[in-house]
Amino acid sequence: MIVSKSEIHAFFKRCQAEGLGGFQQVIVPRRSMVQPRDLFFTALNDKVEMVLESYRTVDPLRALFYFPRERILGGDVPKVKRLVVGAKACDLRGLQVLDKALINAEFVDPCYAAWRRNTTIVTVDCAEIGVSCHCNLVGGKPYAEEGFDLNLTALDVDYYHLSVGSAKGEELLALIQSATTITKASPEEKRLVSENRQAAVRKLQIQNAGLERGENYERLKKADIRIWIEEAQTCCGCGGCTNICPTCYCIILNDETTGKEFIKDKSWDSCQVNGYARVAGGATPRPKMFERFRNRYLCKFVNMPANFGLLGCTGCGRCIDVCAGKIKFTEVIKNVMEAKQVQETEHV
Amino acid sequence: MSKNPYQVIPATIYEIIEESPTIRTLRLRPERPIEFRTGQFVELTIPGIGEGPFTPSSSHYVKDVMDITIMKTGFVTEHVHKARVGDVVGLRGPYGTCYPLEKFKGRDVLIMGGGVGMAPTRSLFLTLLHDLDDYRSITFLAGARTPADMIYKYQIDEWRRIPKVKFLRSVDKVPEGESWDEEVCLVTKLLNKINIDPHDNPVVVCGPPVMMKFGTFDLLKYGYAPRDIYLSMEKKMYCGIGHCRHCVIGKYYACKDGPVFTYEVIKDEENIWE
Repeated sequence: MIVSKSEIHAFFKRCQAEGLGGFQQVIVPRRSMVQPRDLFFTALNDKVEMVLESYRTVDPLRALFYFPRERILGGDVPKVKRLVVGAKACDLRGLQVLDKALINAEFVDPCYAAWRRNTTIVTVDCAEIGVSCHCNLVGGKPYAEEGFDLNLTALDVDYYHLSVGSAKGEELLALIQSATTITKASPEEKRLVSENRQAAVRKLQIQNAGLERGENYERLKKADIRIWIEEAQTCCGCGGCTNICPTCYCIILNDETTGKEFIKDKSWDSCQVNGYARVAGGATPRPKMFERFRNRYLCKFVNMPANFGLLGCTGCGRCIDVCAGKIKFTEVIKNVMEAKQVQETEHV
Repeated sequence: MSKNPYQVIPATIYEIIEESPTIRTLRLRPERPIEFRTGQFVELTIPGIGEGPFTPSSSHYVKDVMDITIMKTGFVTEHVHKARVGDVVGLRGPYGTCYPLEKFKGRDVLIMGGGVGMAPTRSLFLTLLHDLDDYRSITFLAGARTPADMIYKYQIDEWRRIPKVKFLRSVDKVPEGESWDEEVCLVTKLLNKINIDPHDNPVVVCGPPVMMKFGTFDLLKYGYAPRDIYLSMEKKMYCGIGHCRHCVIGKYYACKDGPVFTYEVIKDEENIWE
């Protein structure tokens, strides 16, 4: 299906302004006023210019569903009906990890599940590639193939190709149809979708040439520990990488009980800080910085795949941009995977 | 919609037993019974302070009340030690794996508990006593740093009178002014005092990390197979429900796949003893 950009942009603005479709909030990426290259999610209003076709935002999509701090017991379950427009494929893969951990599991996180339930996601293909983007190295694509409600691919300056990925997407499509003109895609337009997507893939391949490292991630675990000490040298343990990661979901719990009602808040935690896994009495399994540094890579490439059947890295590259120690995540993986392998027992 | 997994059940402290200078047992009456299987743990909230994972020390056959034995060792447990009879705490759970009693049937069961690690193993012990006919024998090796640190002293005579039960105790040292007429050695050395066929018999270990580590090595030397050694792992089980990841041991969660693991399962993971 084909829809004009100006019409659908106007439709998203009406969703915000008039509550079309019952949406109480529309969230879109906009440019940073300080650094125009950077995009941030923001609540749409008439002053906000949405930027849908660029690459992923600075803030992970996860943060819209899994807040830095949120009342998890003794508060109201979130009920705001939201429309997120301009999400990217890498972030969607991140939500798939969280879905497995927090919804499709023995226990359900009531807040995350509610935000997921009440939010419709419109993904837009990446037409540009960020300097740290590397989804092609982790089996990802700069466009979403599944998990979205609605997806938009820019055909040219005036039109999007539109596809539906879920029941929520069907509902939204019906609403869009009532407000805009939608036409059937011609074979020529379908070819253009594929061409535009391939162009983005090629950009990624060129950008990341030389960083390919295969998929035998067990090598990360079995690498000589000295390579990790070397790679972690400039890591200061700030935890920026975990805060900005689309798949990190570690939390701590705070008891806020005041009266008779039991109240609990959850807040993001980071495995990069020393106190993370420390138990009462002081013992901690990873007292050294390089051990915590290594743990993050093992969590993403060994443990999460074992737990969820999904890589914990979606190739968004945010951890590279945020790093105070200028550590290049992709280079670390390559260096470690190519390093000398030793028996696991030599670590313990 | 599913229930909020963080919802707690208020429980009133109806009695407190001071076990040692640093360990006390809270006897709790929850608003409604919390059914658990021995070895599983619960999260206990001190209102306004915080929450921690603890394994009940009472038998899982006791439904309407629950004993939890807690050592003063951190922020939350300090407040546990300030709690008074009549205070209300929060409980949620049970979580995690239990001791596989069906595999213990007809066998000689060995239990090794050190310090406050005697708490979960007392739950197991009391549960086993309930069905004593099902087991060939029960041997409990209990250890503490000093005689004053030994917990459940007031029950020892009663337990030693039970047929098929052998209960050995040791302390690491006897400070001046304290008396002790039982063994003085590391609890793991009590293995030299018993005569159990390690073949196809289960052994359960719970205690401080260093005791778990060397206890396991001694048991392997004694002839126990890794699959027969059951360890109650201590990790930071923050949420208890597999959401916070703090207790991850390689690909396992201590809260979901444990806390009871066989050594066979976790022996190849890193840093298991820390």
